[in-house]
Amino acid sequence: MTVKEMAERAELEVLVGADGLDVEVTGGYAADLISTVMANAKQDNVWVTWHLHPNIVAAALIVKLSAIILVSGRQPEQETVQRAQQEGMPILGSSLPAFEIIGRLHGMGILGTV
Amino acid sequence: MKLGQVKEILEAELLVGQENLDLEVEMVCGADLMSDVLAFTKPDSLLLTGLTHPQVINTAEIAEIKAVCFVRGKRPPAETIERAKEEGIPLLCTPLLMYESCGRLYSHDLPGCSQVEEK
Amino acid sequence: MSGKVQFTRTQELIYEMKVGEVMTHSVVTVKPQTSMNELREVLRSNRISGTPVVSNDRLMGIISIEDFIKWLANGPPKTTVAERMTEAVVTVYDDEPLVQVVSMLDRHGFGRLPVIQRKHKKLVGVITRGDIMEGLLHKLEIGYQQEEIHRYRASHIFEDLIADRTALVFQYRVVGKDFQKAGSGATRLKKTLTRLEIHPRARRRAAIIAYEAEMNIVIYTNGGNIMAKVEPGLITIKAQDNGPGIADVELAFTPGYSTAADWVRELGFGAGMGLCNIKECADETTLDSVVGKGTRLEATIII
Repeated sequence: MTVKEMAERAELEVLVGADGLDVEVTGGYAADLISTVMANAKQDNVWVTWHLHPNIVAAALIVKLSAIILVSGRQPEQETVQRAQQEGMPILGSSLPAFEIIGRLHGMGILGTV
Repeated sequence: MKLGQVKEILEAELLVGQENLDLEVEMVCGADLMSDVLAFTKPDSLLLTGLTHPQVINTAEIAEIKAVCFVRGKRPPAETIERAKEEGIPLLCTPLLMYESCGRLYSHDLPGCSQVEEK
Repeated sequence: MSGKVQFTRTQELIYEMKVGEVMTHSVVTVKPQTSMNELREVLRSNRISGTPVVSNDRLMGIISIEDFIKWLANGPPKTTVAERMTEAVVTVYDDEPLVQVVSMLDRHGFGRLPVIQRKHKKLVGVITRGDIMEGLLHKLEIGYQQEEIHRYRASHIFEDLIADRTALVFQYRVVGKDFQKAGSGATRLKKTLTRLEIHPRARRRAAIIAYEAEMNIVIYTNGGNIMAKVEPGLITIKAQDNGPGIADVELAFTPGYSTAADWVRELGFGAGMGLCNIKECADETTLDSVVGKGTRLEATIII
């Protein structure tokens, strides 16, 4: 499933990077501690997070994630948007809390690492 | 869902609250940001979190969280366990990551906080 | 309190309470060389049906009125207690839970058990069914009295105080930079509001406001205090500190805006949601801050 299909099916809003949505999603990861993302997330995973800080883009690039998903209706900081645009890292958003977004994605077959 | 069932689904270990396996949790919140927990959870939720310091218990107490489950196999320090005993908040510890923990519970029909009306 | 709750509490207590807490300490004892004639007097004058036999604080055996009667019937006149006592005595340690004694008394049909201190193996007392009953009743009564005090405070205070306007004020000191103790003010305030039987939703909102305000004081300042004023229909929370102050108050209320250090963020705080949460939970919020002087936050909740 591509990021685009995932966004449509899970009703996620594309906040940044509408032209980079054809990447195949390999699975999901969720956490807020940036160090753990780098340690545990796999390439082309989507990352469900609460953070808005520009650092999330940097971390996502290092691990080569396919997209960042912001939860609970949170809007990224200005600098985060700029960095994501520059680097072509899609940021999606939803008004739902993390648990429900993850639940939906998991139900669609986007699984986590066990 | 009973806490005992949550324990089974998450392959979790019970750290505090042996007598509370029959406790009912109404919904789940997964968060590492304590302010997020305070802002969005409703009373009687189960909190899944990757943080283990004692402030998690204070947050749970303030937000009237019913039970806390630490993800990623992270074991809490002794102060956290002490605080949880003091406040009577059961603690679980699962080796699963946050994403997988949320996914499994959601697939067993446990709702999230936005799906349940506050009493 | 329903009968069922009381019963459960009793069950808990027989697991929680230790033998040492309820046993009789001053025990009448006899020595192995005490004669059976003297024993008669000991049993009679103390109105007891049996007594431990002790030598140098060690329990050697137990002698009962039954042993005495048997001796009267057929024993030689000059007999010592040592010759007629039961040596293999069932005992309990003082640190064992009461439930242990209850089951032993049941199993053996004894009326009493000598209590031994685990470390020095000395006889320290005797425990009977009566001791257990008395101990449990005493504990339950204390619990009941404490419950009554809480109930009194909770349900009557506003009606009992006579004034045109009544307000209760609670103050909590907040130590700056002490992440371990952070939150103790807010959690204590929440317990206090529970005792006052404040409506759960208002209580939860007040607790969240106090907790976020307390965390801000801990993270950004060297300390301050949280005050809560409870009146019929209204809770006011004031937080004040003499910290660095907030340069742009409007910006500080923007979700996600934060000046927190990385270590604070790694702990799950400082994500720029604190003041927003406070504003969400309050019916009215005012924030006065002077850079270099400190910050005063006031939030009110209509119950």
